[in-house]
Amino acid sequence: MAFIQTVNLGYKREGRDILKNVNLAVEKGETHALIGPTGAGKTTFLRLIDMLDMPGTGKIFINGVAVSHSEKSRLEIRRRMAFVLQKPVVFNLSVYDNVAYGLKWRGLKKHVIREKVNDILETVELVKYSKRNARTLSGGEMQRVAIARAIATGPEILLLDEPSANLDPVSAAKIEDLISGIIKQNAITVLMSTHDMEQGQRLADRISVLIDGEIVQTGNAREVFTSPKNREVAEFVGMENIIDGEVISNEGNMAAISVYGKTIEAITEHGVDEKVSVCIRPEDVTVSLARLSSSARNVLEGTIIWTAYSGPLCRLEIDCGFPLVSLVTRRSAEEMDLKKGLKVFGTVKAVSIHVIARH
Amino acid sequence: MEEIWNGLVRALRLIFTFDPEVMQIAWLSIRVAISSTLIASLICVPVGSLIHFNNFRGKRILISIIQTFYSVPTVTVGLFVFILFSNKGPLGGLDIMFTPMVMVIGQVILISPILTGLTITGLSGVDKTIIDTARSMGASNWQTAVAIIKEARFAVMAAVILAFGRAISEVGLAIMVGGNIRGFTRVLTTAISLETSKGDIELSLALGIILIFIALVVNFAMNRIQQRQ
Amino acid sequence: MRAVTTGKIFNVILAIVMVAGLVSMVAGCGRDESASGEPGSYSIHDPLVRFKIATTTSLYDSGLWYYLEPLFEEYANVEMDIIYAGTGIALEYGRRGDVDVVIVHDKAAEDKFIDEGYGINRRNFAYNFFLIAGPENDPAGIKGCTAVEAFTKIYEAGMNAPGSIRFVSRGDLSGTHSKEKIIWSNAGFDYATDIQDSGDWYVEAGKGMGPTLLMANEMNAYVLADISTYLSYTQMNPLDITLLVEQDSIFLNVYAAIAINPESDPGTNIDITNIFINWLISEEVQNVLATYGLAEYGRSLFNPIGRGQEDGSADLPGFPPVEAYTEPVPSYTPVNSIIERYTSS
Repeated sequence: MAFIQTVNLGYKREGRDILKNVNLAVEKGETHALIGPTGAGKTTFLRLIDMLDMPGTGKIFINGVAVSHSEKSRLEIRRRMAFVLQKPVVFNLSVYDNVAYGLKWRGLKKHVIREKVNDILETVELVKYSKRNARTLSGGEMQRVAIARAIATGPEILLLDEPSANLDPVSAAKIEDLISGIIKQNAITVLMSTHDMEQGQRLADRISVLIDGEIVQTGNAREVFTSPKNREVAEFVGMENIIDGEVISNEGNMAAISVYGKTIEAITEHGVDEKVSVCIRPEDVTVSLARLSSSARNVLEGTIIWTAYSGPLCRLEIDCGFPLVSLVTRRSAEEMDLKKGLKVFGTVKAVSIHVIARH
Repeated sequence: MEEIWNGLVRALRLIFTFDPEVMQIAWLSIRVAISSTLIASLICVPVGSLIHFNNFRGKRILISIIQTFYSVPTVTVGLFVFILFSNKGPLGGLDIMFTPMVMVIGQVILISPILTGLTITGLSGVDKTIIDTARSMGASNWQTAVAIIKEARFAVMAAVILAFGRAISEVGLAIMVGGNIRGFTRVLTTAISLETSKGDIELSLALGIILIFIALVVNFAMNRIQQRQ
Repeated sequence: MRAVTTGKIFNVILAIVMVAGLVSMVAGCGRDESASGEPGSYSIHDPLVRFKIATTTSLYDSGLWYYLEPLFEEYANVEMDIIYAGTGIALEYGRRGDVDVVIVHDKAAEDKFIDEGYGINRRNFAYNFFLIAGPENDPAGIKGCTAVEAFTKIYEAGMNAPGSIRFVSRGDLSGTHSKEKIIWSNAGFDYATDIQDSGDWYVEAGKGMGPTLLMANEMNAYVLADISTYLSYTQMNPLDITLLVEQDSIFLNVYAAIAINPESDPGTNIDITNIFINWLISEEVQNVLATYGLAEYGRSLFNPIGRGQEDGSADLPGFPPVEAYTEPVPSYTPVNSIIERYTSS
């Protein structure tokens, strides 16, 4: 059994299912990310793991032992974990006292506490604020206090709930660095939630996708991002083009799929006549003014419906019997003078196409 | 206006000549009000916390009732205490009617709703996520409660200051159960009431100014304690 | 098991110190000991013997008790606690046994109190007169009238010409209020139906004598007051209203001391009470009363009860019979309780 294991974990709030039959296994020393849209149940799940709330159904096993309902044993387990909440909250006390609190509650001796706290404040670069009231810090600094507070107690399990969600980009990057440092330096099991797929990819060994209270897919970052299991995951991991079609032939996993009267070639195990959806990332669609003579199997002709520039990139939609969104660099878009009404060719390699079953 | 000026001058004279009777009255005022505020705080802050941290049926109604009693007239509390401790009342055997002791008891009853209610309000004002944070950091229920009370310490201190203000400034109860006995249960407010009824407006004003001065000093001291934490 | 940390021990000690401090503070809320002899200071005679009297406000406000208290404390070697209240409340304190003796001035209420078994050994020890004060221009034209005529005129002016005059009543069940009701009744009115709520002219203050006088002064109204409060109040605060009617037999105001019946309240200090009552009618106190306020106000605020024989007041209706102020009260023997004890066992 894994270090953290949930079995059919369920939770209801006001009669509504927040979590349904969640079975998740996190191995010892692993960093596991829960990704999913807002409201998917990520925070609720972390709260259940931290024993803050009582599960409605199912069981949680920590290190092979089922967690009982007695508050005493739950507290004991909780003391082996640390939880950094999404909203940076600090006690209306000095930074030092904030970090020392958890150690005090565990009944540690004053000089031990002092040593540990000072050590950790150094790690999070907050020594100079030691005596300052934590309420006077910025959001990023508060979150650093929260992380310091969490690791001060030397937890076996670290729970992070969207640790950088409410912060500006610079502070968020700093927090991420801090977390990745902690993960590297400690033999610690981390379960974190994030709605930032890329953050999940950067920090986690494995990712679980939680949608509407259910874990839809678990795997390493590559698997989840390139081979989403169903339409919801595909949408969530950034597959902007999800087009319905039917397999018309399949020879050695090289299938031809009929999509709105056009044929797209892709690699898939789905057999003939199966109803499928074709998933294409916009960045995998190459746009050109003339038909490219490359090895790419799929060349789709169409007219540009709209273009939208954002930063160094340009997003555009081509109507080629079905809408196809593409992402190109601003430079190439300007070179080709891409604009509405222009006839273009969208080219997609067969290997870039992910095919999922359609229900 | 001249009377107010004369009252001020007389107040200063009474203070700086250490007029023995005024000193004795003022000192009793301070002792009774501080005693009742301390006792009430030791009771009401834990009770308020208990109400806040526990969910039970009728909690909202209980809080509403407590808040209603913020405005209980001092004389009504006085009557209640009088009936309780009067010689033929249920606690008459204690024989403490017309003593400072019974005034303290009365004031404790008088200010308890304010202290309890404002403690609850203060604790409710603490960010809910702070409670989760404390628990997640491994605080037991008891440790969490203490941490939350600590978080709400400014609000609780404000409640204590307000309660002290009500205790030292009330007159109905002090006269009803204290009896305003000269040299024994006479406090500033009852002395003011008496001097006003005797017609010594200036002395009444002077005593009032002394009372405000005491409240000022006490509040200042409490604020200092609070800031040092 | 986790060892108790030093921090916890410290907290416990702190708590103990705080509680101890608190207890001593509350316990210390007793009487301050200070040297006797100087004005404004008090000595403890015998803190175990606390002799409590409830006195009517008019006697208290005149300052008479400030003068008499140290004399009696010296005389009887007791600690005297003086609580002032209107006659109604003072008698209530007596009924509940919260005081040892009541000093009041309302014959009817006193009779009832004694009949009900709460009081014994009533002795009258002083008297004075009520008066009617009012606006100097006297819109109701009561100057020189008798009390009954004056009240009738005030009523008529109040009812016939609303807003022309006002009358401020104590309205607090005090002896003064009782006297007012008697005068209304003698003038042929039913207090509850004819006077109360009859119009804006009749104002019930619900306050002590001093504040009622002040209120009447502010409203330029008529008011019934006792002479002692009126004189001492006007001495301190010049009033616009002036004395209009006095010298009427109905204004007679007799002060009585009544001991609380030990049968009703076994905890009472009946022996000291008896000493006290006899002391009040003693020559020493009577001489004090004869001159109290004379120097300050040009007339004494109270008359010693014996003076009634000299100035003719003794012939007024309602003046107590001689034995009610000359005969010392007998020392108390709990006859009834002895009989009860024998018969019941």
